[in-house]
Amino acid sequence: MAASSGKPSSRLEELLSSSKRVEDLSLTDDEYEDMETISTVLESANATYISSVALPLQDLLTTETSEVQDETLEAILPFLEGNPNGFELNSFGIPKLQRKIHIPFLHHALGDYPPQFAAMDASKPWILYWCLQGLTALGCSVDDYRERVIYTFASCQHPQGGFGGGHGQLPHLAATYAAILSLVIVGTPKAYSSINRSAMYSFLGQMKQADGGFTMAPGGEEDIRGAFCALVTLSLLTLPLELPPDAPARKHGLTSFTDRLGEWIGKCQTFEGGISAAPTNEAHGAYAFCGLGCLSIMGPPKETVNQYLDVPHLVQWLSYRQCAPEGGYNGRTNKLVDGCYSHWVGSCWALLEEAAGPGIFNRSALGRYILSAAQFKKGGLIDKPGKRPDAYHTCYNLAGLSAAQYQYKFDERANGDIGQGALGAPYYWKVDGEWQGDGVWGKVWDKDDIVQLIHPVFVVPWGKAEECRSYFEGKKDL
Amino acid sequence: MPKFYHDDPEWADIEPIAQEDGGPHPLAAIAYTDEYSEAMGFLRAVMVNNEYSERVLGLTEHIIKMNAAHYTVWLYRAKVLEQLGADLRREIAWLNPTALKHLKNYQIWNHRQTIIDKLGSPEGESEFISTMLEQDSKNYHVWSYRQWLVQRFDLYTDEELKWTENMIEEDVRNNSAWNHRFYLVVGKKDGQAVPEDAVQRELEYAKAAIRKAPQNQSPWNYLRGILRHNKLPIAMIKGFALEFADVEKPDDVYSSHALDTLVDIYAEEEDKKEEAKKALELLATRYDPIRKQYWNYRKGLLGQTSAMA
Ligand SMILES: [Zn+2]
Repeated sequence: MAASSGKPSSRLEELLSSSKRVEDLSLTDDEYEDMETISTVLESANATYISSVALPLQDLLTTETSEVQDETLEAILPFLEGNPNGFELNSFGIPKLQRKIHIPFLHHALGDYPPQFAAMDASKPWILYWCLQGLTALGCSVDDYRERVIYTFASCQHPQGGFGGGHGQLPHLAATYAAILSLVIVGTPKAYSSINRSAMYSFLGQMKQADGGFTMAPGGEEDIRGAFCALVTLSLLTLPLELPPDAPARKHGLTSFTDRLGEWIGKCQTFEGGISAAPTNEAHGAYAFCGLGCLSIMGPPKETVNQYLDVPHLVQWLSYRQCAPEGGYNGRTNKLVDGCYSHWVGSCWALLEEAAGPGIFNRSALGRYILSAAQFKKGGLIDKPGKRPDAYHTCYNLAGLSAAQYQYKFDERANGDIGQGALGAPYYWKVDGEWQGDGVWGKVWDKDDIVQLIHPVFVVPWGKAEECRSYFEGKKDL
Repeated sequence: MPKFYHDDPEWADIEPIAQEDGGPHPLAAIAYTDEYSEAMGFLRAVMVNNEYSERVLGLTEHIIKMNAAHYTVWLYRAKVLEQLGADLRREIAWLNPTALKHLKNYQIWNHRQTIIDKLGSPEGESEFISTMLEQDSKNYHVWSYRQWLVQRFDLYTDEELKWTENMIEEDVRNNSAWNHRFYLVVGKKDGQAVPEDAVQRELEYAKAAIRKAPQNQSPWNYLRGILRHNKLPIAMIKGFALEFADVEKPDDVYSSHALDTLVDIYAEEEDKKEEAKKALELLATRYDPIRKQYWNYRKGLLGQTSAMA
């Protein structure tokens, strides 16, 4: 391996080599006067912060991983230290949340697409969900979309239950998840009653596997997304926990949707501590959220997460997902920071801290990454600087921002009588206020940069999941 | 050249089912080309009839060419192949360039798995996977597929182990390769302990990798994973960890992961809580400060009785 190639550039070297840098850059009152403008003071403060959280140790050995990591950091640093997009800054010297450009971006993404977007034909339910969730996170009403959401999904619903990507497509749990959440977001009995609940129950019964997990589609892959999507659907629609009589898993002695499920999720925890798509696969941030989400639907996370997972080991793995000095998360060991993990990893914390105790993750650094590096100049949010915005990264960066900004608490007494029946645990969350800093790190956002509350398990606007559950709890028959 | 079916006599018996969008202005509507739109209309129709035929195979191939991310077409194609008893080798030959063109596609791998499972032979698969990994060495689907292959055809072989060694040699930071190796070494045993000689071999292997780049977390996780799996005391690697960090020499730290490991080693020793705290302090203030609160959480764990392995 040639150690000389792929050498980090001078800026990076400077950042990593000087351990005295923190002191060097702390500004005295006199130095303030020398600064040309307040904004350069703020930028300099950002640079000071960045060098204070950079990992001082870097190996000399160069490999493909270290090369792309160096290039990536090189591309991100100008956004963390300065303001190349020329956004208006908040009182912390960090770009404000650019609502004015993100909102039109999402509205536009709900509109018409030219023929070259045919590849999206099977993922339209996702587009709708990401846009609707993103818009509500930004404080927009989506009421005006309700009618169109309802009939767009009516065409995706399969006669044998579940939703597909479009008219005539086979039912799929990912499409089903996105459809249910979209209908929950727009709300109202009209939206809820558009779901063929009894057919859905039968479809979910077909997806349950003998080992406890779920396949994504008939003949499709079995992975932890399947389990999460199925449990979200079962819970929101208040479906019976008993497997339908014709569910194939019954032949293997299973009687309930949750039979062997906790154990199956436990098997997805890998030797690294994280959670994988299926037993023995590599630990991955998105699957960690699915696993924790599942367990948080099965019961109070303090009980279920501790019962089926090695909590300190998962906490360790999850903590290491935070990239330094970027502040955002990556999805796997030795991979690159990516804005969508702001949610997939960032939103794990509310669930995991129930089992492990509060105050473990660096909200401040996450907020910095999202506001400084993940906002696209022309609207929408992104994976990292240099990438194009899309509804997916917009939705999940905003969800991650919400996870950084609010504290949630599981409380057996919350929500009165909703969630009494099966899979009712996720209706017992309450908001424990905005995060105000923890003595180690402070917040980096102003009032205007705060997004809306999001349900920590369902990732829909606060209160919407409860409305839906309460509607279906009132229904006696399937 | 676009292909159409409406004036094709071979398809004269099929009445295509037009796409219904449910209302006047559906959301995220795509202005399909006439070609795509018509092919999908015919697919909907044959699916309703449960038709499994050569011509449907051609139709699915046509649609996949236009949109490879269409799970319905893939699932239906698998069914057609099964019903027809089609030549599955031919299917794989067709699949290879398609997979290379769509590296991030989920469906292709599930499809491939279905086909290879039926074929009952992994012949040629290793080579194909290597070609895929040359394009994208950490592709999750490819690695998961490789793991399935090992499990399905009992390929827990020295050759497979050697192959992961090559992958790790190429990039010692490729965590997917380490994960695959872990699976090879412990996966088959399903919770059983790994034989002692294999444990020794793997510990030495991971240590050698760490010496190349001590700040690389993959082999540290691997090393500790092997110990944990075999319920061996973490104290076994104390001397090794001390090569890279010593709480008494705070300026000479070469790996934050060595410090992290030392925390757990000291936590298990009698009267070594102070050393563990010192290591945590070094991590929080100097060597990994972005995770300050996490190191603080670890401090809290020290107070609890049995520390984690
Ligand atoms: Zn992403």
